[in-house]
Amino acid sequence: MKKWIACLLFFTLAFLITIIHTGVIRTGRQISLLQQAVQIQEAQNQYEQLEITRLSSPEEVTTYARELGLVEARPHEVIVLEDK
Amino acid sequence: MLSRTAFSAPAVFNVKKRMKGVLFLILLAPAVITARLFQLQLFQHEEYLSKAERSIYNYLAEDRVRGSIFDVNGQVLAESVRTHSCGIVKRYVKDKNQTLTFLSQTLSIPKKQLTEKWNQAHNFFFVAKRIKPDVYTQLAAVRRQTLGQGLELTPEYERIHPFGTRALDILGQANSKNMGLSGIEQMYNREMTQDISKKRAKRSGRGDIIYDRHLKEKIHVANIYLTLDATAQFYTERALQKAVETLHPQRAIALVQDPHTGNLLAAASYPVIDGQSLAFQFTYEPGSTFKSIVLASALDAGVITPNTQVDMEGRKWEVAKGFVVQDKQHHKDSLSLAEILQLSSNIGAGKIAVEMGGKMLFTYLKSFGFGSKTDINFNGESKGTLSSYTNWTKVDLATKGYGYGVAVTPIQLITAYSAIANGGILMQPHLVDHLEYTGGKVEQKAKPIKIRRVLSAQTAQTMRELLQTVVEEGSGKRAQITGYNVAGKTGTAEKLSKEGGYGKRSHVVSFCAMVPATDPAFTILIILDNPEVYSFGSTAAAPVFKEIAQPLLVLKGIRPDKLDF
Repeated sequence: MKKWIACLLFFTLAFLITIIHTGVIRTGRQISLLQQAVQIQEAQNQYEQLEITRLSSPEEVTTYARELGLVEARPHEVIVLEDK
Repeated sequence: MLSRTAFSAPAVFNVKKRMKGVLFLILLAPAVITARLFQLQLFQHEEYLSKAERSIYNYLAEDRVRGSIFDVNGQVLAESVRTHSCGIVKRYVKDKNQTLTFLSQTLSIPKKQLTEKWNQAHNFFFVAKRIKPDVYTQLAAVRRQTLGQGLELTPEYERIHPFGTRALDILGQANSKNMGLSGIEQMYNREMTQDISKKRAKRSGRGDIIYDRHLKEKIHVANIYLTLDATAQFYTERALQKAVETLHPQRAIALVQDPHTGNLLAAASYPVIDGQSLAFQFTYEPGSTFKSIVLASALDAGVITPNTQVDMEGRKWEVAKGFVVQDKQHHKDSLSLAEILQLSSNIGAGKIAVEMGGKMLFTYLKSFGFGSKTDINFNGESKGTLSSYTNWTKVDLATKGYGYGVAVTPIQLITAYSAIANGGILMQPHLVDHLEYTGGKVEQKAKPIKIRRVLSAQTAQTMRELLQTVVEEGSGKRAQITGYNVAGKTGTAEKLSKEGGYGKRSHVVSFCAMVPATDPAFTILIILDNPEVYSFGSTAAAPVFKEIAQPLLVLKGIRPDKLDF
């Protein structure tokens, strides 16, 4: 009888381990999905940052400034203040 | 007793038998599973392992991270963004019409186009590449539904250059698998990339990526910081583009260098070819811009003095029998050093070179770095041509005096001029400032390295003053900038024609100068190769210098060195 009880205990334990393992895998999958979502958001953010860089490039700024009627200063027209 | 035995014995037998039967049934299923697992693990292990590996690594076979490239001020010049490509495995698609309609709407591709691709493909075809994250989210959402069956979303990278084609000839290109193909991208591939495919994730049976929690690989890639300044690069490319549109040269090059550090602040080439910078790869006979180097060498060697007058031999100098050098641009019997440079006298420069002698001139030219690579480490850098002086004839010597019979690269010439600008020291030119690894480790690349002193400080000072007169009174007038002294030399060199000899119609115009001449902050070189409109260094290249130098002086806040303007 003891043998049968040992067998039952063994299989019950194996069953519990399987359930726990399944839970771990499920959680892992959820983590993976969240990581994927984070990655997508990060990539989206990266695109936005690069768009900011593009818009702040001298080319864009110069074009926009010209549209506003501004002209580039010549070097002798600039007063350089000492940074002290 | 008998009757008790006769009654109870069958009952015990039945209970035990039933218990055994139930236990047998309970254990049967696990036993079968165990047996199957045993068979799979022991006998079919290899087969399933390879299947699993294929499914994982086919998907993520080439997933690698890549560092970014920045300018000297930390402005992004190239950066990788993770995107996806979308493909269709036809045999897994449940409803062709529904799937194609969905893809057409989501990816904004005409359905007709998708249908054509479907009809042409055997089993798999790409629908779209470089899918942006917002669209990817929509596609990923249906992957678990019938609509999404058969969709393959593969990770790939888009290398973005926020400033467009700016400095693309230097930066080069990287592909969608984050592998550098040309230019800086290729040269620093090892430092910039890390393969993360095999440790990052696994793919489940349903196609989902499961990130491995135990193998979080440490990312160790480098971001590259160039010495280039994106704003200076913009001004340089803009000025060069303007010259290209007006004069239609075959090639055009503009370089800006800090003479005190050797750092390149801008390097523009036309035509722009990824990773093919003419600044390092183009070789040409420099013509008159080379006269400054020859005169500086002769001054430094004591062969001539600032007061030397050179006899013009009636403006027709017969160097050797059958070889005559003429100066048609003036009517003077003798010229001072300043006049030789201002009027760009071939006789003057040629006679000084002959006076120096082959060995001395060769030693100085080698010392200036001609005939050797600069070690800037750019792929395909040329070393130019400077043959050994032992084979030079008098004619060779004379022609070298005014920049023929020697081939230089733009980087060699600007670095030599920078030596005149900084007081006589040849500096190691740099293109990469530093590498910054993940974790903060910094590897400095652009430390100012003094290669050697090529001129005394006094000679360099004298040369700057002489070159200043070229811009004030000579051929470089169009490079004048209000408030600043400019020292430079123009050049118009005829090119060797295919038929032999120098062709009158094929030429290279150039201008190399430093500003402010009293303490130069920039050395700038402009080269226009074979402009369609016949032009000279004075009329074509000098104005480009001015166009570049003016905004740079504002950008860097360089004070005027002229008070009377």
